[in-house]
Amino acid sequence: MNTLVPERADRPASRARRPGPGLAARARRRQTVVAYLFLAPTLLFFAVFLALPLGFALLLSMSRWAGFDLGDIRPVGLDNFTGLFARGSTFLTPVLTNTLLFALGTVAVALAGAVLVATCIDRLRFQGLWRTLYFLPMVTTVVAVGNVWKYMYEPGGLVNGVLNALGLGSVAFLQDPHTALPAVVVVQAWASAGSAILVLTAGLKSIPRSYYEAAELDGAGAATVFRKITLPLLRPSLLFVCVTQFLTGLQSFALITVMTKGGPGDATAVAALEMYRQAFSYGDWGTASAAAFVLFVVVLVITLAQLWVFRRRGEDT
Amino acid sequence: MTPRRRGPDRRHFALALPSALLTAGCAAPRQGTGRPGDPIVLTLLSHYSSGALKAALQEPVDEWNATHDRVKVRTKAVEFTDLLTTFMVRQAAGQGADIIQPYCLWTGQLVRAGVLRPTPPGHAAEIRRGYSPAAVGAASAGGRVYGYPTEAQTYALYYNARLLRAAGVRRPPRTWPELTEAAERTTRRDRYGNTLVQGFGLSSYDDSTTVGQTLALLNAAGGTFVRADGRGTAIDSPAGRAVFELEHRLVRRGASAPGVNVYQAFPAGRVAMVISAGWWTGSLKPLMGADYRDVGVAPVPVPRAGGKPATLATGFLLGVNTASRFPREAWEFLRWLNAERTGARGVTRMSALQVSVGSLTGRAGDMRALLGSGGDPNLRPFLDALAYAVPEPNVPGAQQAKTLLRANIEALWTGQRSVEQALRTTRRQVDQEVSRLW
Repeated sequence: MNTLVPERADRPASRARRPGPGLAARARRRQTVVAYLFLAPTLLFFAVFLALPLGFALLLSMSRWAGFDLGDIRPVGLDNFTGLFARGSTFLTPVLTNTLLFALGTVAVALAGAVLVATCIDRLRFQGLWRTLYFLPMVTTVVAVGNVWKYMYEPGGLVNGVLNALGLGSVAFLQDPHTALPAVVVVQAWASAGSAILVLTAGLKSIPRSYYEAAELDGAGAATVFRKITLPLLRPSLLFVCVTQFLTGLQSFALITVMTKGGPGDATAVAALEMYRQAFSYGDWGTASAAAFVLFVVVLVITLAQLWVFRRRGEDT
Repeated sequence: MTPRRRGPDRRHFALALPSALLTAGCAAPRQGTGRPGDPIVLTLLSHYSSGALKAALQEPVDEWNATHDRVKVRTKAVEFTDLLTTFMVRQAAGQGADIIQPYCLWTGQLVRAGVLRPTPPGHAAEIRRGYSPAAVGAASAGGRVYGYPTEAQTYALYYNARLLRAAGVRRPPRTWPELTEAAERTTRRDRYGNTLVQGFGLSSYDDSTTVGQTLALLNAAGGTFVRADGRGTAIDSPAGRAVFELEHRLVRRGASAPGVNVYQAFPAGRVAMVISAGWWTGSLKPLMGADYRDVGVAPVPVPRAGGKPATLATGFLLGVNTASRFPREAWEFLRWLNAERTGARGVTRMSALQVSVGSLTGRAGDMRALLGSGGDPNLRPFLDALAYAVPEPNVPGAQQAKTLLRANIEALWTGQRSVEQALRTTRRQVDQEVSRLW
């Protein structure tokens, strides 16, 4: 009796095993196909609006094209890249140096201001209201921001009016090559600090209150608490803000176009503005594309460096 | 030199993908079948998008459309700052206009890119006969004429006679020492250093403003910006050094405040003298109202008494696109608009158009006929300058050369560079760009 029962059980089992592998494999293949079908619109979007322009830009960076006739693209190898670093070129200095200074200055000012403001907001009531107020510059058009600040910086404008009221002489902020770039950095930092404040206030909220209570019990002062507890625990938020602000600064040129047009002289000429001019004013798309790739390399290197620095410090902590 | 052969694979790749996308994305507008006897529609793209200019151009176009059954003209206009970009984008998309009106500075660039069609011999001969040398030069590249000059802008010295009299200056300056003296005497500042009135308005408003002033003075000193062969700059010359030293001195002594927008400050009575082009008279009159009677215009001062007069000339031209399917009809319309004489005074339609908006053409005879009957007397110095003005360089790299010159001029004004440094840097940068072989 027992012998008969196992035999019956074995037979159905062996029958079930035979089609198993085939069915499973076919099912997985069907799932894969269905997944790619659902992803197709996104992949198509990616291909059309990212991969194709990137490929075209790569082609142009090694070609000479005036921008008018698609049939007149002539390959020139690396001539465009060598031209960027030629003796008479303005790309390395002052364009690239201005770009780096602009981005670094924006990050420094915006980050310092945002940390200070976020810390204050964290101690206030109606935090949503304050965050909204500080975020408003983000939703204001760059052209409006640029024009308003430009008038504020004018001789006879608000800033110089305050200086005059204090008995000081006027300063031509946007017409002095030594003050033009810092002046624009202040505006860029002011306009972009809103997003940093949002991120940092969220980061502050994620710090457990028990840390502060423990520090208070141990008699730590406010400055010590800020330096030893708040800043270290804000590191992930600071990293995110640093990377995004730096990327924005490196690619920004609309504000500079409105306020200084790259002047006085070339004191505020930045890479993105130079690329635009090369392509649309001078009809030299090859140089513009080559400059874009050089800027891409710079952005990549700096971003990786930021990630490495912050993570290393994080591990040490 | 024989053009280098292009590999078919690369060309096909370059053409296939972008062209396929463009074809899929937008359909070309219908411009007629091209069969004999069928209607033809010519498109004209210009920067006459404002009210006065748009209406002025539309009038002759309407006249043409009313009197020609088969060939019609349709105008499109964009702002000047978008004009070159629009040419580029529409041409690359295969939708270039049949007739375009580019800024003369771009002639070399458009010719190099194969956009502008050379003027047929008959039309070219008529253009050379009928226009001043400055206007013809501005519409030519490599010795060939590429269109009918339309606006002809020469530069002269605008001055506010009331401000000059208040400072004891009895007449507009004719030489650079007189210019410097008049500028310094008319300058006024408040106790905080804000400029209330600047004697001579050097302005960094845009490329054309900054460079136009400088090139007008450079030409008046007998110099030129680009060498005759178009392969390098001639700014580093005695004339160039003299101009840079003059401007540097004016700014250093406070007689010029480059940060001020002269287009706002002069009509407000806060600038005594400005070098600018003739089109500005048309803007100043409605802006200043009764105060316009204080405005006078004089030739650009020369470095020394008795010097040969010279100034800068620039402008626009109407040319035919190489992509046009109806070049013969397009040239006929341009001849009708720019060369056919009509009306009681026997002037061309374009001459009447330009004078009606306070501008000039390069047809000196037309200008004298039109201005002689109660026109703005301030336009006369610009008209006289047509005889001796130097056309703005329009080599293929002219736009970039102009921007580089502007950057160095501003660096000079702000003390960032000395005269020597600015001259040397300009030469190095401009030579790098204009000498590149294409």
